[in-house]
Amino acid sequence: METKFRQARGLRRNILVVDDEVINRELLSFMLREFYQVYTATNGQEAIEMLTAGDRVYSLVLLDLKMPVMGGIEFLQIRHQREDLKKIPVIVMTAETEAEVRSIKLGAADFIRKPYNMPEVILTRIERIIELYEDQHIIASTEEDPLTGLYTKAFFFQYIYRLEQSNADNCMDAIVMNADRFHLINELYGRSAGDDILRAMGRSVMRILMRADGIGCRSEGDTFFLYCMHQEDYDWVPDVISEELGKAGSSATQVRVRVGVYQNVRREILAEDWFDMANMACSGIRENYTRNVAYYDNALHVRALHQERLIRDLRAAIEERQLKVYYQPKYNIRGEKPRLESAEALIRWDHPQLGMIRPGEFIPLFEANGLIQRVDYYVWREVAAQIRRWKDELGIAIPVSVNVSRIDIYDPHLEENLLSLLREQKLSSADFVLEVTESACSEDDEQLISVVGSLRSKGFRIEMDDFGAGYSSLNMLTMLPIDELKMDIRFIREMSKDARSLKMVELILDIARFLEMTVVAEGVEEEPQYRLLREMGCDVIQGYYFSRPMAEDVFASFLQREISA
Amino acid sequence: MLTIEKLEQYGANTAEGLGRCFGNESLYFRLVGMIPGEANFPKLQESVKAGDLDTGFEAAHALKGVVSNLALSSMLRPVEEITEKLRAREQADYTDLLAQIEERRAALEELCK
Repeated sequence: METKFRQARGLRRNILVVDDEVINRELLSFMLREFYQVYTATNGQEAIEMLTAGDRVYSLVLLDLKMPVMGGIEFLQIRHQREDLKKIPVIVMTAETEAEVRSIKLGAADFIRKPYNMPEVILTRIERIIELYEDQHIIASTEEDPLTGLYTKAFFFQYIYRLEQSNADNCMDAIVMNADRFHLINELYGRSAGDDILRAMGRSVMRILMRADGIGCRSEGDTFFLYCMHQEDYDWVPDVISEELGKAGSSATQVRVRVGVYQNVRREILAEDWFDMANMACSGIRENYTRNVAYYDNALHVRALHQERLIRDLRAAIEERQLKVYYQPKYNIRGEKPRLESAEALIRWDHPQLGMIRPGEFIPLFEANGLIQRVDYYVWREVAAQIRRWKDELGIAIPVSVNVSRIDIYDPHLEENLLSLLREQKLSSADFVLEVTESACSEDDEQLISVVGSLRSKGFRIEMDDFGAGYSSLNMLTMLPIDELKMDIRFIREMSKDARSLKMVELILDIARFLEMTVVAEGVEEEPQYRLLREMGCDVIQGYYFSRPMAEDVFASFLQREISA
Repeated sequence: MLTIEKLEQYGANTAEGLGRCFGNESLYFRLVGMIPGEANFPKLQESVKAGDLDTGFEAAHALKGVVSNLALSSMLRPVEEITEKLRAREQADYTDLLAQIEERRAALEELCK
């Protein structure tokens, strides 16, 4: 594979021709220029200056012996003492046999006779010496992935580094290939089936590189990196992959391989970062089963940078209380008149530079990386203090729903943390309603069932948020000890236009009645929605129809008005 | 104006010279055209006449390199001969060889016009 890559058009190494005769320099430059980038020096001194300037890496020196200022022999003597110069092979150009012997003792790799051989001979010798030296260099750290025969990651990046020194003018692409849920293959079909799939992916990589000219490695597990000449598109790649997977047996054909491409890599950034960018594109289609190839684009990059910033700024947001808790009232509509029953705590981020950030921008991000736990804890603390103030200042006790994320459920200190927060404010578990999102639940989740059961036994009301949005089964509702079901907002929005959504709302209300659970409808904005829900037997309503979420001070005045009315 | 025929008549192995230029005639002619102006010709003449055989050898050796690369055989013969004599620091009469070399240089210069 790399031989083909080496021969690829345009992969140009730098060669330094050192000769005082302009005719010889011109002749050699002409011979070599199709395959190499040729630089010239007129004597040994100038050559040393160029080789050590650090602005480019030379793969070879072609050295004349008789030159003014500093001749070839003196150059070789100096080179012999210096490790940095010794790495670059030297071919001596001479007509004298005697000089050949002397040069070889001083470390010259080969000779070119004057008058020059035919260009083809010279080129072959040059190519052989360069390869020999590069291989010697690389062999020291060669590590081949024993499973696929591709390079290991460390070696791959080392090779890229070398290639880049002679190849920085070519448009190149960085590609990441990754199999979906590979760990499941190992679990379901055994390790040897998993290995067959990795080998098939390795063969795919080889085939892709045959066409696109480049190098590849298995980065880790089921992730492969490719670095190759720029291609207009890689839409042909999934066919290659599925063909190779097809050869690896029936379990392999079910594997989905995603391909992320970062085209025309930017040389100002590190090679490792090219693959982060390709990986970003690759991860972006994890949930999108209609596409298996994705290209990195700048919008993706801007978004990732924005997310990075939010992650970085979260600590300050918590310390400086930039996260603001808003309260939206929930009304019980079972009686004759709607009655304020409780409130839901909602969060906004008032960022000092970015302004108000919607929760949709940061909640899913923090849910994905676990930071949501800190946000949740912050909200619980803020809410507990607020409930205390309302009790003290207004004499009003109103329960507030707070979010409990899936990661909190697995925190062994969850219950203790909640109870101690409440104790600090001299509150009881009746002051908090705990909202667990449906997506955080799965039927066979014993941990969830036991944690929720225990919280409930301590007096917390448990509400299932976004019910109907996820994939939970009805069976789970019977297993999970919950008090309230909050219907997914989409049903409420759609129910007046769409008969199926309306039917879903009816169904959820029936189930809840059967299981003796309270049903909450959120996102209620208009009177017809309110009337319809009331007629159908919905218990609690939350939404703009009654009130938008309010900052704590606004909510305090609102509370006073509500109570006195 | 140089042509292949003229160079053949002058005494050049144009097939060999052209071969080193991948058959590129204009490059070959351009490089041959640089020969008559080579600084090593006057350097050779002056140093040998002044008895400085070391410098003379350097100049002759350099000329031998380029002349042989361009396969200018009729010039190469006296250049090679003087190079070997100078390499041995032979105390000899170089007048004739220097004249031959100058004659070949001037003839080539004429050809290039």
